[in-house]
Amino acid sequence: MQRPWHDPAWRAEFSRGARDMLPAFPGILAWGLVTGVAMVKTGLSVPLALLMSLLAYAGSAQLAALPLIAAAAPAWVIAVTALATNMRFVIYGAAMRRWLTTYSKRRLSVLGYLSGDFSFVLFMNRVAKEGAFEHRDAWLFGVTLVNWALWQFASIVGIIGGAFIPTSWGLQFAGTLALLPLVLPACRSWAGATGALTAGCVALLGNGWPYKSGLLVGVVAGIIAATAVDSVAAREQVDGHP
Amino acid sequence: MNQMATLDVLLAILSLVVATFVTRAGMLLAGERLRLSRPVEAALRFAPACALTALVLPEVLGPAGALDLSLGNPRWPAALVAAAFLLWRQSMLGGIAIGMATYWAIRLWLR
Repeated sequence: MQRPWHDPAWRAEFSRGARDMLPAFPGILAWGLVTGVAMVKTGLSVPLALLMSLLAYAGSAQLAALPLIAAAAPAWVIAVTALATNMRFVIYGAAMRRWLTTYSKRRLSVLGYLSGDFSFVLFMNRVAKEGAFEHRDAWLFGVTLVNWALWQFASIVGIIGGAFIPTSWGLQFAGTLALLPLVLPACRSWAGATGALTAGCVALLGNGWPYKSGLLVGVVAGIIAATAVDSVAAREQVDGHP
Repeated sequence: MNQMATLDVLLAILSLVVATFVTRAGMLLAGERLRLSRPVEAALRFAPACALTALVLPEVLGPAGALDLSLGNPRWPAALVAAAFLLWRQSMLGGIAIGMATYWAIRLWLR
């Protein structure tokens, strides 16, 4: 089989993906740093923290698991917590899968493992605009590999320099700010805006719920609200109302 | 706390890896075995907007858990300033810079 990266068009999409991800670098770096610091401050040894960072690659699930590891909770409790914290990725996968059915299982395994919040939203925004563009896998690899590399770099710096980095800088807020420009275009339609607002409010209400379930319930509630508004709008169009 | 059993931590890491892989790649690998109905597919187009606000809003309006709209929580005015900037200029980098600057300025001012 010919390697895909021998194709210049594939490589062009790959570097476009990498470039599309780059502006988020302060957010990713700050978030990775915070996670790295949190791992060593929990009491993980440097080698184990490095191993967790390189293998697990799941910011929010790692942060959720750390107090459990410190309390010597059984592995299945940690697994359930990580599954629950990561549940939003199942929704992401469900939304992305119809655009990725043509690729091999092996490629999808790697793409899936590397994908996160940023790559999902960037991908959905692009297919919403351009449809099934050529070499989607290449572009997604570009996005996710840059995300991975930035994250790992920052996380490793955090692990090694953990003792010197105070947690009081509020660095994780930079990660939140990096997501902001992605929210705004998604709210251009009434349906999208209603869904976003519903999801945000429900997630806020469920902020303290166990296993980060407020996040998942918020996303589902938002999708339902958006669909309801969308179907009302569609019906009005059919009926000839404004 | 430095005496954590290495085996326990390794098991914890393994559970994290499995949980991450299953949730992230599962849907993509399900292939033909799983068909989503057309209304579900249509509804999922709203997933990005919903997921992002569900992630962002609690972090901005209630980082300590409950809704906090006082200046003791400098995140909400900082996010507001960043959002206003982003409406004017679509620059992720600029949004982060202005948001963080506002955030740190409020914290310094309140000290």
